[in-house]
Amino acid sequence: MSEPFEPKIVAFVCTYCTYAGADLAGTSRMKYASNVRIVRLPCTGRISPMFILKALQKGADGVLVSGCHPGDCHFAQGNYHARRRWTVFRALLAFTGIPEQRIRFSWISAAEGAKFAELINSLTEDIRKLGPFEQYHELQTVIETQSTY
Amino acid sequence: MGIQVQFRKEAAELLSSGAVKLVIGYGEGSTPERRRPVFVRTPAETERLVLDGACVANLSTYLISEGLLSDGKNVAVFLKPDGIRSINILAAEAQLNPEQVVIFGFDIENGEARPLAGRKASDFTQVVEAAKAAGLSPELQKEAERLDHISAAERFEYWKEQFSKCIKCYACRQVCPMCYCRRCIVDVNQPQWINTSSHTLGNFEWNIVRAFHLAGRCVACGGCDRSCPVNIPLRLINHRMAKEVLDAFDYYAGESTDQKPVLATFRQDDPETFIL
Ligand code: SF4
Ligand code: SF4
Repeated sequence: MSEPFEPKIVAFVCTYCTYAGADLAGTSRMKYASNVRIVRLPCTGRISPMFILKALQKGADGVLVSGCHPGDCHFAQGNYHARRRWTVFRALLAFTGIPEQRIRFSWISAAEGAKFAELINSLTEDIRKLGPFEQYHELQTVIETQSTY
Repeated sequence: MGIQVQFRKEAAELLSSGAVKLVIGYGEGSTPERRRPVFVRTPAETERLVLDGACVANLSTYLISEGLLSDGKNVAVFLKPDGIRSINILAAEAQLNPEQVVIFGFDIENGEARPLAGRKASDFTQVVEAAKAAGLSPELQKEAERLDHISAAERFEYWKEQFSKCIKCYACRQVCPMCYCRRCIVDVNQPQWINTSSHTLGNFEWNIVRAFHLAGRCVACGGCDRSCPVNIPLRLINHRMAKEVLDAFDYYAGESTDQKPVLATFRQDDPETFIL
């Protein structure tokens, strides 16, 4: 059991900024942790909080939500709306005991390939330290093993 | 003249003149300290109306019954300040025309009902402002802070224990005036976002989503909390959301019939300290 724990991280990103940033990291041959699974969406405004819950349901140990910096949204306002939603949803998750360190938010532009790579690396390290999100995933195991449901 | 007599008389007048087609009020309940909603359509029936300190339910929830207001006729309803805020929200979210709602406003003080002056939602602006100025419940705030100060893992255990009791009866949804979607997200199965059986994971997801959809919309009438058969402290999670929108966006739900929903609007300088 000397293998380090490899966290599963799901990143929901908007196609115009963060996805392009991730692309830039790739084309610039920057290495970043392969723990992240990127899901590309048209806009941060399209990133429903349901996606975060779904990721956790399916076994994610951490989630990143990222899009264009304020003022840069391709649809002008999508990220402003998203920001309000995140504020509220984040507080709710924290209140129910889902650690804030596992659900992160960032602005990464199409030019910030390096920021993307660094963020993924530091996020992966943080979550590796926290360990698997057993508390949540246990809820799923209960369903799978208890026939009474 | 007591408030009950006064409201009965005025309700009878509204019905006999045809100004309203229906009066939604309170009547005797199954025990002396309980009240149940009554739906009065004739002047004679107004004798059934009761109004006292036990009238706590937020009756605005009946106004969103499908088709009730679609004939353009008016309906009168007994409402406390929380119910009046509900009307404001429903109007702001285009669920009803506030002109069709005649309000019998009252508040409960020291266990007694006393009338509030006004008939239309817009007449009660000062009442709502006073409610906002009075602030959120200090008791709930204390309880929420207690939870805020324990570790995330302990909080998770607390809610896991609470949510494990949920039987997914959806009473909390049915009773809520703000839960008017014809198809609730929990009933959507293509894709199925939320596990629908009442195991703890599904209950967790359901309760998170319910609270989120009511953030900045809940008026703290307590309907969900009272109706929950397994006594999950829903008031606490609602309170935490109300506190969040107040602190982050200076938003208090139901201030007026044209207040923009908190999550359907934004300011360019909204706080964002948590975004990397
Ligand atoms: S969530 Fe509960 S307390 Fe809030 S408005 Fe709905 S029923 Fe009332
Ligand atoms: S009323 Fe209580 S038991 Fe019923 S669905 Fe709501 S939280 Fe669950």
